[in-house]
Amino acid sequence: MSGFLKMLGRNKKVSFGLFIVITYLLIALSAPLLTSHEPNKRVARPHQAPNAENVMGTTRMGRDVYHLFIHGTATSLAVGFGAGLIIVVIGTALGVSAGYFGGKYDEVVSLLTNVALVVPQLPLLLVLAAFIGEASPMTIAIIIGFTSWAWGARVTRSQTLTLRNKEFIQASELACEPSWRIIFVEILPNLSSIIGLNFLGSIIYTIITEATLEFLGLGDPLAVSWGTMLFNAQNASAMTVGAWWEVLVPCVAIAILGMGLALLNFGIDEIANPRLRTFSGIKRFNKRVKQLKAASLNTPNNAKQSTNGVIYDN
Amino acid sequence: MDFVLRRLGFYLIAFFFAATFNFFLPRLMPGDPITVMFSSQGNPLPVESIAALKETFGFVDGPLYEQYFIYLKSVVTWDLGSSVKYFPQTVNEVLGRSMVWTLFLVGTSTLISFFIGSISGIIAAWNRGGWLDSILSPLSLVLQSIPAVVLALLFMFVFGVALNWLPYSYAYDIELDPAFSWEYISSVISHATMPIISLVIVQIGGYLLTIRNNLINLLGEDYIVMGRAKGLSETRVMFNYGARNALLPSITAFAMTVGVVLGGSLITEVVFNYPGLGNTLFEAIVSRDYPVIQGQLLIMTLAMLSANFVADMAYVYLDPRLRRD
Repeated sequence: MSGFLKMLGRNKKVSFGLFIVITYLLIALSAPLLTSHEPNKRVARPHQAPNAENVMGTTRMGRDVYHLFIHGTATSLAVGFGAGLIIVVIGTALGVSAGYFGGKYDEVVSLLTNVALVVPQLPLLLVLAAFIGEASPMTIAIIIGFTSWAWGARVTRSQTLTLRNKEFIQASELACEPSWRIIFVEILPNLSSIIGLNFLGSIIYTIITEATLEFLGLGDPLAVSWGTMLFNAQNASAMTVGAWWEVLVPCVAIAILGMGLALLNFGIDEIANPRLRTFSGIKRFNKRVKQLKAASLNTPNNAKQSTNGVIYDN
Repeated sequence: MDFVLRRLGFYLIAFFFAATFNFFLPRLMPGDPITVMFSSQGNPLPVESIAALKETFGFVDGPLYEQYFIYLKSVVTWDLGSSVKYFPQTVNEVLGRSMVWTLFLVGTSTLISFFIGSISGIIAAWNRGGWLDSILSPLSLVLQSIPAVVLALLFMFVFGVALNWLPYSYAYDIELDPAFSWEYISSVISHATMPIISLVIVQIGGYLLTIRNNLINLLGEDYIVMGRAKGLSETRVMFNYGARNALLPSITAFAMTVGVVLGGSLITEVVFNYPGLGNTLFEAIVSRDYPVIQGQLLIMTLAMLSANFVADMAYVYLDPRLRRD
């Protein structure tokens, strides 16, 4: 475990992504400490530019953008992590069970998964949210969670199928271990990197989708979140009247959190699959190869080894 | 042929799932679905057109399965009812008008990102760990995780409002009449520039990473070494030996991305007030025009299934193993 943590620390992308995500988590958890009043309270004149009192300016309704941002962070993270958890649990449960038990059950699950993958997500969510009407952030999290498990189910199923034929699984079967033990003790730990990627990807997806649904006016307009901030800003034509802070704050907040989660995801992918790495280790390696090549230029046999200095590992 | 038929059957099933979802959703919601769906704020619909709408969506007297078959019949005959807001226009008329603009945005941006993304992905994988790879690969991942709504709003703010380089509302200058003239076409192009660029950014990273990660896994293959050993030029080995074999997963990525781009296009159009499907949908949501919202889901599903079918055909063409029955 400590070796794994060390590896995480050494990967610059992971450390940077982790730093961003933890900062957001701290902001969300200490929201009551960082704010002094209800976020929806009218505190100043409408569309005040950022100043000493309202550090991020105010909206057309005279609400303080800083307070909305802090509380919106808590909402977005709660929605992201909540729906991410639902997606991962459903996806993994369906995928692993279908891959392990096979048969008719597998056929039904695979068909459902493939159908869910080709039906367009956003229009589906739009129709659902439109019928529910003014969906609260938690409702949005739940409907995203229950409609977006297909990708996770597909990848965990195919990984389980591969694992199922490995010797150690067959050995456990011959030893008459119960299926639950094989699934939870033998298979699941081997899927941890895929489940982790699925979780992080689902969080990004949920936060983006929640903001999009609310921006389109399908959310509860009284809820405080980045999506409703964007919706209100668009309604107030904040951009065209020059109130850039009202739009820029939620935009930058979403973009940076997305970036942090993406870096974390990319880094974990690299740790799990070393071939995908771009980081400086390869650069140093290439430099060393070039030096060696320069040194051995007078021995023409080695010079043609690699034309662009990249070594192809196998 | 077997493969193609199997896929077509699967798409049929998928489409029926979407249609069934459309049928059951209003019936599962609390309250009376008919008053929810067909009540329009403002102008009330004539009684006979409400009756026609009810028939389209299967709200007839009789057991549920009968209602379902009446509804399926109207889906199969592509009778999607009429819009509540733009009455007496039908849903087909309302959506057809705006579909051209969405196809223009989605098609252009998909072509641009597929080519630029794939070519830069190939070059990044070939020079793995080089400066291009170290910048482009993490960058495309980061760009992928920025939602279309944020990109579109930022573009609109920087290049539209602040710098005033490009127009940021509607599809063309409304003072012009649609005509085949340079003035009109250039106006269309300049109005489409920002929506297209934001859609390109939304999807380009996916294409880049897909082909990069695939090509990297192929770099050690014998046929690459063979190409080099034959003394072929580096570009030839890169494109004809490496990239050609790494292309198949990009075709799958294309089919998956179409859904993302359709969604992104919905949002981008709302931001730029572009008269496509997205804007129509936005207006339908605001005025709770349920027939239009439901028709949109069916059209989007069809578009997505067509994209998947195109990808399947490309697979059959590119992968000889599928043609061997």
